[in-house]
Amino acid sequence: MNRSLESPPQAFSTDPWKTRIDRAFARALLIPLAVSIGLLALLLGDTVYRSFSVQVVRADEGPGKTYPFGLSANEILRQELLARGYTEEEISSSLQDPTERRVLLLQNRVELMWNTQDGPFRYVVTGLRDERVEDFSLAEGLRRWNELKANLGEGERLVLNPWLDQSFLTRPPSRSPLTAGIGVAIWGTAWVLSLALLIAIPVGVGTAILLEEYLREGTLNRILEVNLRNLAGVPSIVYGLLGLALFVREFGLGPSILAAALTLGLLGIPVIVVTSREALRAVPESLRQAAFALGATRRQVVFRVVVPAALPGMVTGVILSAARLIGEAAPPLLVGAAAYVPFFPNGPMSEYTVVPVQIYLWVSMNIPEFSRVAAAGILVMLAMLSGLYLMALYLRNRFRREW
Amino acid sequence: MEILKQRPSRNPKEVLTFVLLVSLSSVTLLTTLGVILSLVGDVVQFFRRVPLLEFLLAPEWTPLFAEPRYGIAPLIAGTFLVTAIALLVAIPLGLSLAIYLAEYASGSTRPRIKGTLELFEGIPTVVFGYFALLFVTPLLQWAIPDLNIFNPLSAGLVMGFAIIPYVSNVAADAMESVPRSIREAAYALGARPYEVALRVVFPAAISGIIAAIILATSRAIGETMIVAIAAGQRPTLTLDPRETIATMTSYIVQAATGDQPTGSTAFYALFAVGFTLFLLTLLLNILAQWVVERYRERYE
Amino acid sequence: MVSLELLKDHETVRSAPVTEAEALVDVRRLNLWYGKKQALYDISVRFPRNQITAIIGPSGCGKSTLLRSLNRMNDLVPGVRVEGEVLYEGVNIYDPRVDPVAVRRQIGMVFQKPNPFPKTIFENVAFGLRLMGFKGSELEDRVVEALKRAALWNEVQDRFRKESGLRLSGGQQQRLCIARAIAVEPPLLLMDEPTSALDPIATQAIEDLITGLKQHYTVVIVTHNMQQAARVSDRTLFMHLGVLVEEGPTELIFTKPKHPYTEAYITGRFG
Repeated sequence: MNRSLESPPQAFSTDPWKTRIDRAFARALLIPLAVSIGLLALLLGDTVYRSFSVQVVRADEGPGKTYPFGLSANEILRQELLARGYTEEEISSSLQDPTERRVLLLQNRVELMWNTQDGPFRYVVTGLRDERVEDFSLAEGLRRWNELKANLGEGERLVLNPWLDQSFLTRPPSRSPLTAGIGVAIWGTAWVLSLALLIAIPVGVGTAILLEEYLREGTLNRILEVNLRNLAGVPSIVYGLLGLALFVREFGLGPSILAAALTLGLLGIPVIVVTSREALRAVPESLRQAAFALGATRRQVVFRVVVPAALPGMVTGVILSAARLIGEAAPPLLVGAAAYVPFFPNGPMSEYTVVPVQIYLWVSMNIPEFSRVAAAGILVMLAMLSGLYLMALYLRNRFRREW
Repeated sequence: MEILKQRPSRNPKEVLTFVLLVSLSSVTLLTTLGVILSLVGDVVQFFRRVPLLEFLLAPEWTPLFAEPRYGIAPLIAGTFLVTAIALLVAIPLGLSLAIYLAEYASGSTRPRIKGTLELFEGIPTVVFGYFALLFVTPLLQWAIPDLNIFNPLSAGLVMGFAIIPYVSNVAADAMESVPRSIREAAYALGARPYEVALRVVFPAAISGIIAAIILATSRAIGETMIVAIAAGQRPTLTLDPRETIATMTSYIVQAATGDQPTGSTAFYALFAVGFTLFLLTLLLNILAQWVVERYRERYE
Repeated sequence: MVSLELLKDHETVRSAPVTEAEALVDVRRLNLWYGKKQALYDISVRFPRNQITAIIGPSGCGKSTLLRSLNRMNDLVPGVRVEGEVLYEGVNIYDPRVDPVAVRRQIGMVFQKPNPFPKTIFENVAFGLRLMGFKGSELEDRVVEALKRAALWNEVQDRFRKESGLRLSGGQQQRLCIARAIAVEPPLLLMDEPTSALDPIATQAIEDLITGLKQHYTVVIVTHNMQQAARVSDRTLFMHLGVLVEEGPTELIFTKPKHPYTEAYITGRFG
C-alpha cells in the first residue's frame, strides 16, 4: 500500500468549492457581530468626541480668578464671594441655607477648565452672564487654535470645554447650555428607581416563587404565565399611558416621583419574574427532596433552602432589570418627567425628571451646544449602567455554583 | 396516630405564605386589567367625539388644527415604514448571528457573543436615537442630498441594529433546541457544516425563527425613543423614507409632552392611538406564541 | 477483577483472521483520546467485504467509539485525538489530505435512536442524494429503490411525499433512517445499536433487513444484545475497556471463546 501519495487520495478528494463555501459561510456569519461592535464603538467614540468642544467665551467680568484642582465647590464659592467684598458671616449664613446656596451656585458656575491663564486643570467661577461667542468641534477648534487665539476680542477667552465635568454632575438643568447640569435628573432617577424596585421586587420575586415552587401546573399557573408573557411584550410607552391615566389622573398623584415609580415598577415586574424563575430553576431538585425528607414543610423548604440558594441569581436579575429601568425614557415622559424642573426632588410627591428624559429633552432642542450637553448626559448614563452591569457580572462570577 | 392528624396544608403559616404569594402575583393580573381599563375608558370618550370610520379611513392626522382630522392611516404608515426598514436590517443580521451561535460558536465563545448582544440590548434607546439623529442622519444626507433631517430611514436603520438581539436570541434558542441526533444524521450522510445549518437545522427550527421575527416586529412597532428623536413628529401619509413622518409611538410622545388640556378630543386621541398600538403588539405576540405551538416539531 | 492494567498490553486473540485481500476496512493500531482520557487502545482489526461484523461488549467499552472512528464522526467531538490508521479500500481516511466529509459520503451510518429529519419521508431519503447532486427522475427512482430495500415501501408508498418522517412509528422511523443511509449506495454501512430503542417486533423486522443487506453492503453493527449479534453477524468483535479482546467468526466466539473475559461476558457473568 503506497501511503506517500503525491496527490490527495482520489477516493476522498475534497470538493474545493464546497470547502471554500463552507469557510466563507462561517466567516460571513460573523459579519453582523463585527458590524454591531463597530457601530457600538462608533457610538461611544462619537459621544465622547461630541462631549468636548473648543469655545470662545466672553465673560463680562473678564477672566475670573482661578482656583486649584481639588477644592470643594463651597470653598471656591466662599473665596470668590470674599473677593467680591462679602463678609465671612454673610457668606457662611447664605451657604448654610440650602435655598440661598442653590441660588448662589446657579449664579456662580464653578467650572473645571483644562487651560487657564494660571495653568491647566483649574477651576474658574463664571457668572450667568458668561456668553458664548463661538463653538467649534474638537478637531476644528484644535486645528485653528492659534488663529482663534490671535483673533480673540475684548474680554474673550478661548477654552477647551469638557462638557462632562464635575459641576455638570451636580448642577440643575438650565435654559442655557453652558450652565445646564444633570444633577436634578440623577436625583430623580435615584428616587424613582428605588421606589420602583420597592414595588417590583416583592411582586416579581413572589410571583416567581409561586410559579416555580407552589404552582408548577394548573389553571392559575397557566393564567399567570400567559398574562406575564403578554405583559412582557407590551411596549413600555403603553405602561406610560397606563401611568398617565391611572396614577397621574385617577389616583390624583399628578406628575410626581410616586406616579413614575409605580409605572416603572409595573414595567419591571415581568423582567424580575423571568430572571428570578431562572435562578429558582437552577436550584437542583435533590436539594428540595433532601429538605422534604428531613420533615420540612413546603414553606420551610422554599424560604430556608431554595430561596437562599437562588439568592445570588435573583440579585443579579434585579440589578439587570434596574439597569433596564434606568434607561427607560418613554414611560416617565408620559407621567410628567418632561417638565422643566430646576429643583432637586425632596420626596415622593415632588416634581422630577430622570436622566434619559433629560437627555431626550436636550437632544430634541436641536441646538448644537445642547447636543454636547446631551452627549455628556449620555456618558453619565452609560457610566451608571456600566456600574450596574459590572456589579451583576461580579455577583454572577463570585457566587457561581456548580451543582 | 397523632402524627397523621396534623394536616400540613391547614397549618396557618403555610396558608398565610401561600395567600401572600398569590396576592403578590395578582398584581401582574391587575396590571393587565389596568392597562386595558385605563385605555378603554378614554378610548370610549374618543369615539364618542370621532366616528370610527374617520379614525380608520381619514387620510390625515391633525388633532391640533383648527379643523382637526383624526385618521390613523398616516401614523400606521409611518410605523410600518420604520418597522420595515428596521426588519430589513435586523432579520439578515440577526439570523446569521443566530446560525453562528447555534452551529459554529464553541462552548467558550458562545457566552461571550451572547454577552456582547446583552450589552447591545442594554443600551437605552434614547442613546440610539441620539446616534441616529446626530451621526447617522448627517452621514446619510451626504449620500442622499434631499433627505430630511428627521427621517424614517436613519431611525429605521439604527433601530434595526437595536433589535438584532431580539431576533438572534430567540432564533438561536430555537436552533439550539434541534436535537443533536438530527445533526449527526446529516453529518453522517456527508453534509458540510453549512449544509447542515441551512438544509437541516434552519428548516427544523423554522417555527421558532418565525416567532423571533414576529417578536422583533412587535418590538420595532412599540419602540419609541429612536423614532421620536430621529424620525420626526409630523404625521404624513407617505412611504417615502426621506420624508419626515410620525409613528404611533412618536405621536404619543409628542402629544404627552405638549400641553393638551385634559378632556379635549386631542387628549383622548392619545389613548386611541395607544390602544391601537397595544392591540397591534398584543396580536403579534399571540401570533408568535401560536406559531411556536402549532408548528413545533415533536421529536419522538 | 477486570482491570485495565491487565488488558493494557493485551494482544488481540484472533480466530480465522481476515486476509488483506478480503478486507474492505483495515484498522491498524488505532488509539483515540477524548481530551486526556484514552478511549481506544491500539486496535487492529479487518472488516471483510459483504459480511456483517458485530461489535459487542459491556457499555463504555469503546464499541461506539470504534464504530464512529470508521467514518470520522468522532471529529465532531471537541478535543478528540486519533493515532494510527484506518485504511478504507487501501486509503488511510485519517490522512491529513482526506476530507472527512467525503469519507462520510461513502460510508453510511444508522444511529441508536431513530433520528429522521423533520421533513417528509421523501425528503429524508433524498437528502444525501441531493447533497451528491441527484435531481429529477433519477432522484425519485433512487428514493423509491432505497425505501424498497429498507422494506418500508409497502407501508408508505401512498403517503411518502406528504407525510413527515416524524409521524412514523419507531420501527418505521428506524427503517426510514436505514433507507436514508443506503440511498446513496455506500459500500459500508455502520449501525450503532440500531434496535436498542425498538420493541421486539420492530427489532425482528430490522434484523431481517440487516441480513438482507449483506448482498450489497458491508455492515458493521454495534450491539448491546448478544443474541442479536449471534443471529445476524458473520464475525464478532468483543471489546472491553477500550481494548479489542477477541475477534473471530461469530460461531466460534459464541461457542468456543478463547479469552476468559470473552467467555465471562458471553455467559453473562459481567456486562
